[in-house]
Amino acid sequence: METFLDAATKIQCRSVLDWKKSGKPIVGYTCSYTPPEIFYAAGILPVRMRGIETEGTDIADAYFGSFICSFPKSLLQLAGKKTYSFLDGAVITPGCDSMRRLDECWRTAGKDHEGIVPGFFYYFDVPHKSEAHGFRWFVDELKMLIHAVEKHFGVRITDEGLKNAIRKFNAGRRMLQEIEAMRSQKEVVVSGTEVFAAVIAGAILPRDEYTRHLERWLAELKRRKKSLSKGKIRLMLTGSASDEIHLFQLLEENTGAILVAENLCFGIRSEGNEIEEKGDPVEALAEHYLAQSTCPRMYGRFGERLSYIKDKVKQARVDGVVMQNIRFCDLHAAENALYERHLEPLGVPCLRLEREYGPMVDAGRMKLRLNAFLERIKKADRIIADENESERVDDLPDRKPLEAAR
Amino acid sequence: MSIVAGCDVGSLTSKAVIMKNGKIIGSAIIRSKPRPADSADAVMNDAVFSAGVSRSEIQYAVGTGYGQEKIPFVDERVSEITCHGRGAHWMLPSVRTVIDIGGQDCKAMRIDRDGQVLKFTANDKCAAGTGRFLEVMARVLGLGLDELGEMSEVAKSPITLASTCTVWAQADVIKYLNSGTAVADIGAGINTAMAGRVAILVNAVDPEPDVLMTGGVAKNTGVRSTLEKLLGVKIKKARKADPQMAGAIGAALLADERINSNKRG
Repeated sequence: METFLDAATKIQCRSVLDWKKSGKPIVGYTCSYTPPEIFYAAGILPVRMRGIETEGTDIADAYFGSFICSFPKSLLQLAGKKTYSFLDGAVITPGCDSMRRLDECWRTAGKDHEGIVPGFFYYFDVPHKSEAHGFRWFVDELKMLIHAVEKHFGVRITDEGLKNAIRKFNAGRRMLQEIEAMRSQKEVVVSGTEVFAAVIAGAILPRDEYTRHLERWLAELKRRKKSLSKGKIRLMLTGSASDEIHLFQLLEENTGAILVAENLCFGIRSEGNEIEEKGDPVEALAEHYLAQSTCPRMYGRFGERLSYIKDKVKQARVDGVVMQNIRFCDLHAAENALYERHLEPLGVPCLRLEREYGPMVDAGRMKLRLNAFLERIKKADRIIADENESERVDDLPDRKPLEAAR
Repeated sequence: MSIVAGCDVGSLTSKAVIMKNGKIIGSAIIRSKPRPADSADAVMNDAVFSAGVSRSEIQYAVGTGYGQEKIPFVDERVSEITCHGRGAHWMLPSVRTVIDIGGQDCKAMRIDRDGQVLKFTANDKCAAGTGRFLEVMARVLGLGLDELGEMSEVAKSPITLASTCTVWAQADVIKYLNSGTAVADIGAGINTAMAGRVAILVNAVDPEPDVLMTGGVAKNTGVRSTLEKLLGVKIKKARKADPQMAGAIGAALLADERINSNKRG
């Protein structure tokens, strides 16, 4: 757990610095649609870029507009501060429009701040549709990325290498699935904050090292007896990119709540399924990363995303869903409003929160809303319990879920 | 016999209510001090004095408001959203939608027949649509808060503020003042801007009658009447108590409930 926490809370964490010392290259990527397997197969360490440890965005504000999400701004800020100077490459993806702008803003910033643009700087396009033509396009994009990596770093990425990478990553995916199943149990032995650290670490640590640590941790979890969920409200967290441990601590520490599920871009959402190990490995990667997508950036897939949340709520016995979005994140803000309209009529309490990315400057404001939300859930439980004792049957009409809005 | 207290430490004012057997026997309201703990202490002293009891007689106290974490003497802390819901229900049992406008935030909530919160929304991280907005504007106009509210009745042609951002609106107001616009027209424009801002929040919770306003801004008649027009519903007046006290009353009611359920169980 210590290694996981280190990786989850520090950009220049021990394992990354150790890898750097060995002289092998490191490539950063910005989006869950970039397959790290490709870099693994090339002997390169893929590191998911994060915006933690920022204290302001003064450098980035000079390049981004004021109506842009603070996550890509934080990434550029850190690049400007040379926190990411260990990167030999960066892959930028149009995960959303704000992230797409990181490509041009970073390039432009590189003219003013010397040495902040890594030698390998690649724009990796990802289609917004997963139908046949989008799929073929994505396969082409993957092949172009592979070719560019081979050329720049002077390596060969073979089909065998890719298949091996897929197998190695699948081992971790399977373990994460097991942990996910444990969180759906009545008595949960692992906190959401711990799982958060373990999942983030998976996007940072060298994969073989990660798999070893995960194996050990899973074994430890299986030995755990003490329930962390007894008498607690079970929450699910969804929405914008969330890789700040403070957010998870805010939800779980001294609140009487435990996080038992997420649908976030860092996390089980992209790691929860295995990738096909047979057949053409590039197509297998395309199939996984494009088709099994649950990010609202993808068109025509709202129904699937909604049913993912519904299933999760049922499976993990979720009492309430906290839906957050970073300010100016149109994708998640719109999606959260739609989820709420579908879930509240089913009796699933939802809380929508808008927040700024980074240091929890508005923790007080978020805490107020969270507390009120938890009190709402608690009170509803108490009334239902009372009804079971047939004390307050006359209250039933008002306990009906809220009507579907409009 | 049970004596309980509710203490609501807000960003601008602090409120305390003392209840005996479910009836208010004393209350106090003061301007908040820089340290929430000091505000809580001072307002409680005033409240117990007005109730004619001593602090040691209080059997259970619930704290709420933005300064709740720092109130030293309470037995329990509850969010102001829950407390305002309970307080509003006590003031008017038929209420289903509560609009609470405090010093630094604005909340709209739907409650059920027990005063339990069903759905709520709150403004995000900005002074527009809060009591602070009105306070800043009243100061620029040289009016008291009550007087600002009355401006909507006497205004002939209210101005339209281009922005509800407190800082920009202030610059706008000064511009109007300098160009000789009637104070009443400016004041009415401010109330309208405020009401427009609040209406957006209220509509987000699908308001149902009866609608009640709590918090300090409920006393501003101009905001209330404009809001009625915008929402197309009558906003009820709380006659039972000062609407600004709703949070503290809700906290005291919850304290009373705890004592009674402890007795039962």
